[in-house]
Amino acid sequence: MSSVTLRNVVKRYGQLEVVHGINLEIDEGAFVVLLGPSGCGKTTTLRMVAGLESISDGQLEIASRVVNDVAPKDRQIAMVFQNYALYPHMTVRQNMEFALKPQKLADGEVDRRITEASRILGLEPLLARKPAQLSGGQRQRVAMARAMVRTPKVFLFDEPLSNLDAKLRTQVRLEIAKLHKRLGTTVLYVTHDQIEAMTLADKIVIMKDGHIEQVGSPEEVFASPKNLFVATFIGSPSMNLFQMTVEQAELGLLLTSQPFSVPVPSPLLSKLSPGRQVTLGVRPSDIRIAAKGEPGSFEARVDVVEYLGIEALLNLRIGSQEFIAQVAAAERPVPDQDVSVFFNPAGLHFFDSQSGQAL
Amino acid sequence: MNHTVSRDRRIALVFLLPAVVILFVTTIYPMLYALWLSFRSYDLSKPFIPRVFVGVANYVEVLSSQAFLHALLTTFKLMAMTLSVQVVLGVGIALLVTQKLPGMAVVRTLLLIPMMISPVIVGLVWLFLYFPELGYLNYFLSLVGIGPVAWITSTGWALTAIAIADIWQWTPFFMMGTAAALQSLSPEPYEAARIDGNSRFDVFRYITLPQLKPVIISLLFLRAIDAFKIYDIIFVLTKGGPADATEVISLYIYRQSFTFWRMGVGAAASFVSLIIITILITFFFKSLQRSQAALAR
Ligand SMILES: Nc1ncnc2c1ncn2[C@@H]1O[C@H](COP(=O)(O)OP(=O)(O)O)[C@@H](O)[C@H]1O
Ligand SMILES: [Mg+2]
Repeated sequence: MSSVTLRNVVKRYGQLEVVHGINLEIDEGAFVVLLGPSGCGKTTTLRMVAGLESISDGQLEIASRVVNDVAPKDRQIAMVFQNYALYPHMTVRQNMEFALKPQKLADGEVDRRITEASRILGLEPLLARKPAQLSGGQRQRVAMARAMVRTPKVFLFDEPLSNLDAKLRTQVRLEIAKLHKRLGTTVLYVTHDQIEAMTLADKIVIMKDGHIEQVGSPEEVFASPKNLFVATFIGSPSMNLFQMTVEQAELGLLLTSQPFSVPVPSPLLSKLSPGRQVTLGVRPSDIRIAAKGEPGSFEARVDVVEYLGIEALLNLRIGSQEFIAQVAAAERPVPDQDVSVFFNPAGLHFFDSQSGQAL
Repeated sequence: MNHTVSRDRRIALVFLLPAVVILFVTTIYPMLYALWLSFRSYDLSKPFIPRVFVGVANYVEVLSSQAFLHALLTTFKLMAMTLSVQVVLGVGIALLVTQKLPGMAVVRTLLLIPMMISPVIVGLVWLFLYFPELGYLNYFLSLVGIGPVAWITSTGWALTAIAIADIWQWTPFFMMGTAAALQSLSPEPYEAARIDGNSRFDVFRYITLPQLKPVIISLLFLRAIDAFKIYDIIFVLTKGGPADATEVISLYIYRQSFTFWRMGVGAAASFVSLIIITILITFFFKSLQRSQAALAR
């Protein structure tokens, strides 16, 4: 059953349209992440779902009910803000009580919910403190607890980790994942960080300039990016791109660039004709060091080697074309020498250079 | 080396001198002179009689005089009336003019005008409004069948009339300060409360007001110092009368010094009020610090 549905949702600020007809279905209990670069309309979309921004056009349903004109408080949602949005002069407990006040619950129920949320998020020792006396990570947990006590149908998160340092970010990320697993409540989560998206999401929605570029599981968007934007946005270090031309050779069609060429795989044979411009994408992890003279390998110059412990990143060059390979640290070559590299044939991605769409 | 340093020093002193002289002539000397005077008997109508030292007699007289205590009480009564209404009105208007509505910037600027007018002019404007027979206020009240009210000529109304004029002039001060504070509040807690569905009253009472408290206390503090010294409006409207109904501290001092020519008593009264206002300042600072500490904790 669908928990949140967006049908052709548009947002305009005066003349300026910033979200262009978004369609999205979020299943009940799913963890959906809106991912995209800054300014692409993620927050605007989330705020329309929350009811903090009006919907210029299209339809929004929550729990099978059209809620375009329903007040935020009646949408059965709870939101966790980027800068926590805690009430500064209230204690942690009072913050939660204030969130529950409109529901007019019995005192016992209020206490029960606060106790439960504090236990799950480890806030028991902090209940009497005010936000100024908490660390960033603790504040974020209070913000989550405050959303949780309301037992909403959908949790909305807007970049909840962006104000935390790297170590804390990993830790709170894990807590969010655990919380979702435990509560099973639908989550719509906004971030510009692809690692957050990959680790948390059941479904990633990749946005750019107010459009959805691709929707899919983390595996899908990583393995089969629909276009160049998704291909380069997902994965770190990002996918290497090579500009190639289709040429007719003796044995069939070849994709060539100055220093090297690869055969066109059979499923694409019918789509390509000689002269066509194609962008070849290869993830750094799909490139390995080959034995000298191994069939299908070619020579590249090692510019810089970045040692990362378990792995190493090689900055390689063929002619003027630079690219990155990710190899086991033990196999790393020394810089300023030529090595043979081999592209994993299963890891080759082909895009039309003109449209950027996957072939 | 040493030579140049002392030369620089001397040049610096020369540049500082005008400011020091002005400060001394306009502030420090009069204050010291008044302090000296407060222990003497000095009748300004007989200026050539020597100023005899009288010990603390002037202070004893001031502190035991009914008129001084009455003036002190009147001052506090007026402060209580004006400051309380100004805070409530000022915050209320600030909440209105910070709404995102067209034309609010213009409204806000217009509302500041009373504050920019000299108090003497404010006194004159209200004199026209209050004037017993010809005043506009009684005319308008008569249209709805009320009055005539003896605004500034009855002991019952005079202090209220002064208060109204002062409120008209200084409410914008609270409005301006509160509006600025309101606009600097972070919007997220309000959005959180909107999603949770908290009532407008609860949002004001538990989110806005606690955050405004330090600002309101600062504004009160500034206004209280000023209100304690109120003089011009009263001088223009009632001169402290009728009888002594609107005689505040500064008018009492004026009357002792320049009506009865008793400079020593006037000077002593000035110092007593200086001490009172200092205590007032200390008290306000303490409560300001307390409320800010409460916010941080
Ligand atoms: N109130 C507003 N008025 C006009 N333009 C806005 C407003 N809010 C956001 N925008 C524009 O909408 C676009 C999307 O913004 P936003 O949703 O905040 O992006 P994201 O969260 O993906 O970084 C941006 O180009 C931004 O400048
Ligand atoms: Mg954003």
